Amino acid sequence: MAVRPVLPVAAIVLAAVALGAAAVWTRTPFVPEERVAHRPIQAAADGYVSSTACKACHPAQYATWYGSYHRTMTQVATPETVVADFDGVVVDDVHGDPMRLERRGGEFWAEFNDPGAEGPESERPRITRRVVMITGSHHQQIYWYATGHERALNVLPGVYLIADGRWAPRSAVVLHPPNQAVSTVNGHWNAVCIACHTTFPRTRFDTPFLSEPIEQQAVDTMTGEFGIACEACHGPGAEHVQAHRNPLQRYALYLGDRPDPTIVQPARLDPNRSSQVCGQCHSVWEFYDADGERRANSDGLPYRPGDELRDTRFMPQPMAQRDSPALAAFVERDPAFVTGSFWSDGMIRVSGREYNGLIDSPCYKDATEAARTLSCYSCHTMHKTPDDPRPIAEWAATHQVSAGKDGNDACLACHDLPEDGVTEHTRHAADSSGSACYNCHMPYTSYGLLKAIRSHTISSPSVAESVQTGRPNACNLCHVDRTLAWTGAALQEWYGQPLPPLSADERSVSAALLWAMKGDAGQRALAAFALGWAPAQEASGTSWMAPYLAELLNDPYEAVRYIAYRSLRTVPGHAGLQYDYVAGREARVAAALPVLQAWQQRASQRTRRDPALLVADDGQLMVDRMMGILRQRDNRPLFLRE
Amino acid sequence: MPADPALTPAAASRRHLRFGWWSLLAFLSLGFTLEMLHGFKVGLYLDASSETRRLMWTLAHAHGGLFGVIHILFGLCLRVAPEAAPRRLPAVSISLVGASLLLPGGFFLGGVTVYGGDPGLGILAVPAGAALLAAAVYAIARATAAASVSSGRQGNTKGRERR
Repeated sequence: MAVRPVLPVAAIVLAAVALGAAAVWTRTPFVPEERVAHRPIQAAADGYVSSTACKACHPAQYATWYGSYHRTMTQVATPETVVADFDGVVVDDVHGDPMRLERRGGEFWAEFNDPGAEGPESERPRITRRVVMITGSHHQQIYWYATGHERALNVLPGVYLIADGRWAPRSAVVLHPPNQAVSTVNGHWNAVCIACHTTFPRTRFDTPFLSEPIEQQAVDTMTGEFGIACEACHGPGAEHVQAHRNPLQRYALYLGDRPDPTIVQPARLDPNRSSQVCGQCHSVWEFYDADGERRANSDGLPYRPGDELRDTRFMPQPMAQRDSPALAAFVERDPAFVTGSFWSDGMIRVSGREYNGLIDSPCYKDATEAARTLSCYSCHTMHKTPDDPRPIAEWAATHQVSAGKDGNDACLACHDLPEDGVTEHTRHAADSSGSACYNCHMPYTSYGLLKAIRSHTISSPSVAESVQTGRPNACNLCHVDRTLAWTGAALQEWYGQPLPPLSADERSVSAALLWAMKGDAGQRALAAFALGWAPAQEASGTSWMAPYLAELLNDPYEAVRYIAYRSLRTVPGHAGLQYDYVAGREARVAAALPVLQAWQQRASQRTRRDPALLVADDGQLMVDRMMGILRQRDNRPLFLRE
Repeated sequence: MPADPALTPAAASRRHLRFGWWSLLAFLSLGFTLEMLHGFKVGLYLDASSETRRLMWTLAHAHGGLFGVIHILFGLCLRVAPEAAPRRLPAVSISLVGASLLLPGGFFLGGVTVYGGDPGLGILAVPAGAALLAAAVYAIARATAAASVSSGRQGNTKGRERR
C-alpha cells in the first residue's frame, strides 16, 4: 500500500508552526529605543551618529574600543550585561531591610526600601522596581532602577563587587564617613552620572535638578550613546561619515598626508588639547555658573574634543589657585569641594581625576616643546595598537597602557639614563622595584574603587611634603617598616633634601604604621594597601604586619576595612581568613582576634624585633604605645569623591 | 596569452581545462595557506586590524576556486558540444582568463595593503575583471541559446521527415 504523503507533511508543518509560535512567545520583545519611556534613551542629535556608523570603516579601532571598559561604563540591563545573580536572591548586605532580587524573563526586578524617600533607611516604604541600567563592568556594577517618573533613575541600595562575587551596601564601596547616608535622590543618574558615563549627554530636566521635587519635573533624558564611545573623544561624526561615503574622498585621504578636517583626531592635537579630551571626564570640574548648567541640561555639554576645556568649565587647580576668588566661591558653596578630592597642598588624591594630576606635573606644566610634553597619550592608548601582542581584554584591564609604556621606557622617552646606569640615580639595584620610575615618581597616593591608585602628578619623594600634607611618600610606601626620619636621612644624603623637623613618633615609629593608625581615613586606606603591595612586602618583610592589619579590620570606615582584609590575605598564613567587612563590629572582632592571637603566640620565633614596628625585644607587641598612637587617630569625617 | 583568431573549440577546451585545473590547484593552495594563518593565529591575518585583509583574501580564495571550476566546465562544454562555442571564441576565452586573473587577483592585492575598512588600490582590478567576466558569460549564454534553438529546429525537421 502506497504511503500517503499528506499526513507526514501536515505533521512537519504543524511542528514548524508550533516551534515558531514558541519562539515568538518566549522571546524578549524588541522595543525601538525611541519608544522606551521608562529610562534615558540613546538618540542621535547635533551631528552625533553613534559608534555603529564608525564600525564599517574602522574595524580595528572599533574592536579595541568594544573590548574596553569605556564602552561598558553604562549599559542597558540585559541578561548579557548584568553580572550579579538576580534569580530569587535575597541580599542582606544593604542598609535597611534585605533586598529581594528576581528575574522575570529577560527583565531584572528588585524589592527594597525606597532610597528616594525621606527618613531613616529602615523606615522607608518598600518598593518593587525594574532594574533598567548599569554603571560599570570592571570592578563593580551599580544597578539603576526606573523610578516610574518619566526617565528618572535611582540606584539600588546594594552594589555588586565583581571580583568578590558579592553585594555590598552603597556606602561600603566608597570611602565615606560611617553613619552618614550616601546621597540617593531620584534622578541622580540623569543629572550627575550621565555627564561622564555616556556620550553626548542631555539631562533635559525642565527645571534645574533639585530645584523642586522630581515628581513635578519633566525628565526627558537622552544621550548620543550609552558608555564612552567614539564620539566622546573624536567629536560628532555626522560630517565625517557624510564626507567619506565617497570612496574617492577616502582614498585621497589614505594616499595623502593631510589630516582629515571632518573629524577630531586627539592624537594629532597638541598635548594640552589632547589631554583635555580625557580631562573632560577624568577631572574635577564644575560649571562656571547656573546659566552654563542650564544650557548643558537642555542642549548637552558644550565641550567638543579639540576645544579649550576651560572655556566652558571651571577646573580647580588648588596648587596654582591657592588665592583664587573663583575657587574660594566654589568652596563657600561646597566646603568639601577641594578637601574631598585634593591633598592639602592641592595634589589630587582620588581616582578618576587623573587630568588634575597631569596638569600639575612638571613634565606637563614646565615642558617647552610639544614633542616632550607629558600627555595622557604619552602612556595610554585608546585603541590597542597592532604591534601590541596582548589580547584586547588584557590591554583593557591594565588601564589601556600602551605597549612598552608600563616600565621605565615611558620616562626614558624624554629623560636620559645616568651615564653609570639607573642605580646612580635611584640608589637601588637596577632590576629592583626601587629602580622603577613609577614607584618613586607616581606612588600609590590616590584612592578609588576600594584600592590605592598611582598618583598622576609626577613628583619626587619628599619627607617634608609627607609631614605637611599627610600624603604618604613613595619611599615609605615601599619601606613600610621604616620611619620618616630614616627616609629623610636617605633623601638628604642622596639628593641633598633638607630634613624637616619631625615629631617623636615620626622619628621612632614606621611612617606606614603612623598613617595606618593615626591618619585620616584616606591615609589609612593607602597604608593598608601598601602593607599588601608585593614590592613593599618584599622590601619590608611581612612577619610583623598581621596585628596592624587585624586592627584595621575594625576601622570605622568600611573601605579601609575592605583594603586591610585584602592585604591581610596576602600575608603568609592568612590567605584563607574568613571575614566580612560589612558585618557588625562583634563579627569583625571575632574574625580579627584569632589573627592577633596567632601572631602573639609566635613571639618567641619572631626574628624581627624592631621598636619602629612597635615589636619589643621579647617579640611582643608594644601595646601601650600602639594604643597611644591609635588614640590620636584623625577621626574627622572624610568623603573622598572618587 | 594573446587572442588566437584561429582558436578552435577543441583547442579552447584544452586551454580552459588546463587553466581550470591549475587555477584550482593555485587557489586550493591559497586556501591551505589561509587555514595555516588561522592555525598559527597569525596577527597579520587575524587581528582586528586585519579584518579587511581577511575578507579580501577569503574573497580571492573563493572567487579563484570558483573560476577554476567555471573554466573546467567551459572546457568540458566545448568538448561535448563544440557547436555551442561562442561566435568570438578567442575573445571570449581571453576574457574569461582575464577575469580569472583580475578578479581574485584584485581581491588578493586589495588585501595586501588595507586602509581600515577599505582595501588597497589592488581592488581596482576587481571591477575590470567583473566586466570581462560579464562580457564572456553573456557571449557564452547567447551562443548556448542559439545552439539550443538550432538543434531544436534540426530535431523538428527530422521529425517531419520521418512522418
